[in-house]
Formats: sequence, structure tokens, C-alpha cells
Amino acid sequence: MRSTERRPRNFSDIGVRVGLLVLAAVLLMALQLSGNLRPVQSLITQLTAPAQLSATGVTTSVEGFFASIARVRTLEQEYAALQTRADQLEAENSTLREVEKENEQLRALLNFAETRPRLELRGAQIVARVIGEESTNFIETILIDLGQVHGIRTGMPVVTDQGLVGRISEVTENTSKVLLLNDAGSSASALLAESRLNGIVHGSTSGDLIMDFIPQGPTFEMGEGVLSSGLGGQFPRGLAIGVIESIDSQPNAVFQTARVRPAVDFGSLELVMVITNFEPNESLPDLLTQPEPVTPTPVAAPTEETTP
Amino acid sequence: MNRGVLYYLMIPLLLLLSLLQSTTVARFKLAGVKPELVLLLIVIGALVYGARPAVLWAFIAGIALDIFSGGPLGASSLALMASALVTGLGHRPFSRFNILVPLTAAALGTLVYAAVYLTILAFLEVAGVSSLRLPLLDTVRDIVLPVTVYNTALMLLLLPLLNRLPESQDL
Repeated sequence: MRSTERRPRNFSDIGVRVGLLVLAAVLLMALQLSGNLRPVQSLITQLTAPAQLSATGVTTSVEGFFASIARVRTLEQEYAALQTRADQLEAENSTLREVEKENEQLRALLNFAETRPRLELRGAQIVARVIGEESTNFIETILIDLGQVHGIRTGMPVVTDQGLVGRISEVTENTSKVLLLNDAGSSASALLAESRLNGIVHGSTSGDLIMDFIPQGPTFEMGEGVLSSGLGGQFPRGLAIGVIESIDSQPNAVFQTARVRPAVDFGSLELVMVITNFEPNESLPDLLTQPEPVTPTPVAAPTEETTP
Repeated sequence: MNRGVLYYLMIPLLLLLSLLQSTTVARFKLAGVKPELVLLLIVIGALVYGARPAVLWAFIAGIALDIFSGGPLGASSLALMASALVTGLGHRPFSRFNILVPLTAAALGTLVYAAVYLTILAFLEVAGVSSLRLPLLDTVRDIVLPVTVYNTALMLLLLPLLNRLPESQDL
């Protein structure tokens, strides 16, 4: 005979389980967004960062190993022409190569800083690849190993010797998140180096950089350099963004659009710099990227202040 | 109860894959997207063991993903739990040894994951706590569809492994 007694509901009941877990997830999100989880997050980041550093290190080594195999195969195919070069490569120690690479990057960063004495630059050992990067495909961010205690603040521009990388979007005690310029929600006021035309460079869901709002009429060439214009106060003026790769100019359109090949390889960032003495203006870029029709609103009549 | 070794390895495997997802997996980008290994393991767990244990794994894996990547905490959990629930529905009525079942589960799981994650991002933007704006059609064309194909193709490669896992009872 079938029992009509109702079983008490517990965590093994799927409805209860889903309900509790959803509540827990929403609660965690609310706590994080309100900033109450910051100390816990900082602690967890400090604990997990070594694991992420190790994972990235192992990945780099494995990648280097397979790259070496691929290189050896190529050398075998073109042995006669590349024999001298192959001997040199074989003589190189892998550790020395790594040190040399880092040395080169540091020199380039130093040179970048020396040629721009007005910008106070704080070198940061990679964070995106080294500490981590966004795990989903929807957001293009990297994590760097400098945070609040190092003087990093939200909105600060991030660069390499190649050019503009993005801006700090979140800061914890010891780490910061950088929203890359190629993220769909990222944008920067830009200037074409030779034709001096202004526009706005923004990221896209495909990861490409698009320069929009270029005035119709004046012409510009493919291969022309794109620099940050400094308008809007989000980034300093004169940082390299990329070069024009293709132009989309419709005769009836108000503006011209161009695809920009980034100066920075966003997929292989290792060392970045944060410009710490630049105070970004947060309000204007939003107006530029989100043009909305302005509806006239009645102006309220001034009221007389009365003092008791 | 016939649980199999995967049942006991799920949580360590998910934690490892969460770490790799935020470090190594970016090197395997195809057409601008990277595979979602954590999601695939959750889908496999849901197919083999049903939705009940899979939602708990999804919650834990989501928290790990968000901690490692610095994303909105809980967002990945909610998206993965939705995927686990939907794909876990196929645990009893369909045989996972039919090739179409795991492939459909991978595709459907990816679409549900994307739908929930994008909804959360949109909600956060409307609520004014995030400025991340994603144009829907472009996101679907450039990210959701390619990653769905990528994940489904990976599931196809994982089929021999999946088919070697023993049939388990409901948990």
C-alpha cells in the first residue's frame, strides 16, 4: 500500500537544494557588489594567486616545449638554409631565453617611461595571464598583481611599451582588474595621427577594435596610426592604440567607421604599466559612448530660499 | 550504490578546471572564443549522475570560477546550475549512449549558460552596479554561437571517455 505520509523536505530534495543554492549565490553576489566581501576576497586572492601563477608558469613551459618541437620540425624542413640559425637556437638555454625575454620587456618599459617623464608609471608583473583572466567569453579583462596598497585606483590607464591596454575597472587590496580596450564595453577617444581626425575607438564582441564617429568628408588612409586623443579625460593624449586596417565609408552616413589593428597583442600580455598620476574624468566617456536623444524638460522656476 | 570514480573526483576536477579556465584555456582560443571546460564537466556530471548532485557541483565550480577570474561572485554558479538542471533532465528519459544526447546536452547547456550569464550582466547594468554593455545580437553571433559549436565539438571528442563511464543509479 502506498504511503500517504509526506516526507520532510531536506537538502537531498532537488527543489530545496536548488532554492538554497540560488539564494546563496544571490547573497554572495549582493555581498560582493556592496563591498562587504572585499576583505574575504583579498584573502582568497592572496591564497589562490600562487596557484594561478604556477598554472600559468606550467602552461608557458608546456607551450614552449611544443613550440620548440614545431620549431625543430620547421628547421628539419629548411635545414640547409637555416642550419646556422638552428645551431644558435639549440645552444640557447631555455632559462636564459626566458630571462632575456623578460629583460627585453623591462628595457622597453623603461624606455617608454623615460620618454614620457610626465607620466608616473608603476610597473606591474602580469596579472591577466599570470594572476588570471576572465573565465567566460563575454568579458575581456585581466588581473594584475598591483592593488590598493600599491596606489592603484579605479579608472587608471594601463599601457605597455606598445601602446594602450585598457583601464583599471576594479581594485582589491593586492590585485586589480583591467578592462581591456577590446572589450565590447570599453572605449577611448582617438585621433588619427596624420589626418588629425577625431573619433572613438571601442571594442566589440568579436574582440576587434572599431574606430567610430570619424567625420564624413575628409579622407584618411589604411595603415594610418591611431592615438589616444585625450578628449574626455579618460586616457592621456598620444598613447598608441593601433593602425587603420580597413575603412567603412558609406556616402549617406554621417560618420565613417574603420577597423583598427591593435598596437598591443591582447592575447599575450605579460608585463603592463599603470599610469598612476593621471586623474581620469569618468563622466564624459559615458556621454560619448551612449548617445541618447535629449528630451526637453521644463526648467523649474527658481524658488526663494527662506531662512527661519 | 554504483557511483563510479568520477563521482568522487568531480569536485577536485572542477576546481582544477576552474583554475585552468582562468589561466591556460585562453591559449586554446578558436574564432575568438575559448572552450568552457568547467561547463562541459558539469554537463557530463548531469548526464551520468542526474541533476541533483550536478547542481551542487555547479554551485561550487561557479564560485571557484568567479574567484579565480574576479567575475561577479555567484554569476557563474547561477548560470552553471541552470545548465545542470536543464541537461540533468535528460538523465532518466534518454540514454546518454545515444550520440545525439551528449551533443545536444553540450549545445543546450552552453546556450542556457550564456542566456543566464548574459541576463545577470544585463541585470547588473540596469541596476547600475556594472557598466558592462553587451549588444545582444553581436554577442550571440560572435560569442554564443561559436562557443556552442566549440563545446559541442569538444563533447564529440570526449564521447569515447563518456561512454566508458558505468551507468549509474539515480543519486
